[in-house]
Amino acid sequence: MPRTSRPKRNPVTARRGPSLNVVLTAVVVLVAAAVLGGVLVTNRSDESAAATQDTLVPNGAHTLSKVEGDRVTLVEFLDFQCPACATYYANVTKQIEQDYQGRITFVPRNFPLRMHPLAVPAALAAEAAGKQGKYREMYHALYEGYDQWAVEGERIGADTDRATAWFERSAADIGLDLARFRADVRSPETRAAVDRDLADGAKLGVSGTPTFFVDGERFEAGGTVADVGRALRARLDAALAR
Amino acid sequence: MSRRLAWLLVLGGGAGLVAAVVLTLEKIARLRDPTYVPTCSLNPVVSCGSVMDSPQAAAFGFPNPLLGIAAFAVVVTTGVAVLAGFHPPRWYRVAFHVGTVFGVVFVHWLIAASLYDIRALCPYCTVVWVVTIPVFWYTTLDTWPALAPLRRVHSAVLVLWYAVIAALVLSAFWDYWSSLL
Repeated sequence: MPRTSRPKRNPVTARRGPSLNVVLTAVVVLVAAAVLGGVLVTNRSDESAAATQDTLVPNGAHTLSKVEGDRVTLVEFLDFQCPACATYYANVTKQIEQDYQGRITFVPRNFPLRMHPLAVPAALAAEAAGKQGKYREMYHALYEGYDQWAVEGERIGADTDRATAWFERSAADIGLDLARFRADVRSPETRAAVDRDLADGAKLGVSGTPTFFVDGERFEAGGTVADVGRALRARLDAALAR
Repeated sequence: MSRRLAWLLVLGGGAGLVAAVVLTLEKIARLRDPTYVPTCSLNPVVSCGSVMDSPQAAAFGFPNPLLGIAAFAVVVTTGVAVLAGFHPPRWYRVAFHVGTVFGVVFVHWLIAASLYDIRALCPYCTVVWVVTIPVFWYTTLDTWPALAPLRRVHSAVLVLWYAVIAALVLSAFWDYWSSLL
C-alpha cells in the first residue's frame, strides 16, 4: 500500500513468484497455527485424568444438601465476593439447593479470586463458621447480605475492617461463639482449608467462578444466567433419572 | 495517504466504532440495572461484565468506550475524506499517526489488564484490539518514508503481531481453552 520512492519495475519482468511478504506471512501463519494447535491438542488429556472424586469432594467437605452415598454430586467452586457468583446464587443455586434438598449432594468449594480483596476474608469467615457447625448459615448470610459487605457503591469493596465487622455481626446473628469465631478466622487450620480448595480447583482446571461439576464432569452452558440455570437443572434431572 | 490505507481506516475504524457503541450501550444498561448481564457475558472467561466493571475499564475516569466512539469516528472520517479526494498535509498525517500510537499503546495496556489482572475476555473489546493494531501499523508505514524496508514485509509483521497476542491469550486462559476440547 505505501508509496515507494523506487522507480516502478516492469510488471512483466518483475513477476517472479510470490513476494517475500506473502511468503513470510504464510510461514508465520502456518508456524503459529501448528504451534498453538499442537500445544492445545497434546495437552488436552491432562485435565480429565485429574478430575478424581477426592479432588472434587475431599474428606470433611461442607455440603448444602446431602444424599446417601452421594448418588448425584454437584460441586461449585465459588468466590463469595464475585458478582457473577452472587447472581448465580440469587437466580440459580439458592433455588437448586431448596428444590433438590436431600436428593443431591451439593458441595460448595472456595475459589477466592485475587481480584476480589474481600473474597479470602469471606471464605475464612464461612470456614470458621463451619468449625462451629454453621457453614450453611454463614454461606447464606454472605450471599444474602452481599450488597452490605461485598460492594461499596458501584465498586467491588476493599475495606477489610468494614467487612470483618459485618462478618462478626452475622456470626453473632447466627448464634456463633464470637470469641471462638474470631480465633478460628485467624487460625492456620482455617487458612489451610481455603488453600486446599484453591489447590484442588487449580488441579481441576478451574480458572474462574462460579465453576460447576456434576458427577465429576465439568458443567458448562452458554446463554443467560437463566439459560444456564435451566441447563444445570436438566443435567441434575438426567443424573437423578439414571 | 494511500487509498488502500483510507479503506483500512474506513473498515477498521467502522468496526471499532460499532464495538465502542455497543460497549457504551451495555455499560448504560448495566448502570440502569446492576443485575443486567451483558449480551457478551457467556461464561467466567468470556465475560464483558467483569471487564466492564474493572477499574481499568474507566482508565481516565470515564468509561473507555466513550473515548473509542470519539477516536474511531475520527479514524473513519479521515478515511472517508481521503477517499473523497482529501490530500492531508504533513502536519495532519503526523498528528493522525500520533493518535494511532496512543491508541495502540492504550490497547496493549488493556490487553495486559484483561489477560493478567481481570482474567476475562470481552468479545467487543477484542474487536477493538484487532482493528487498532493494523490501523496503527499501516498508518506508521504510510507516514514515515524511512520505514520503507519494513513495507516489504508489512503483512508478515502484522500476522506475527497477532500470533504473539493469540499465544498470550491462549496461555493466560489455558485451562479454559483446554476444557473446550
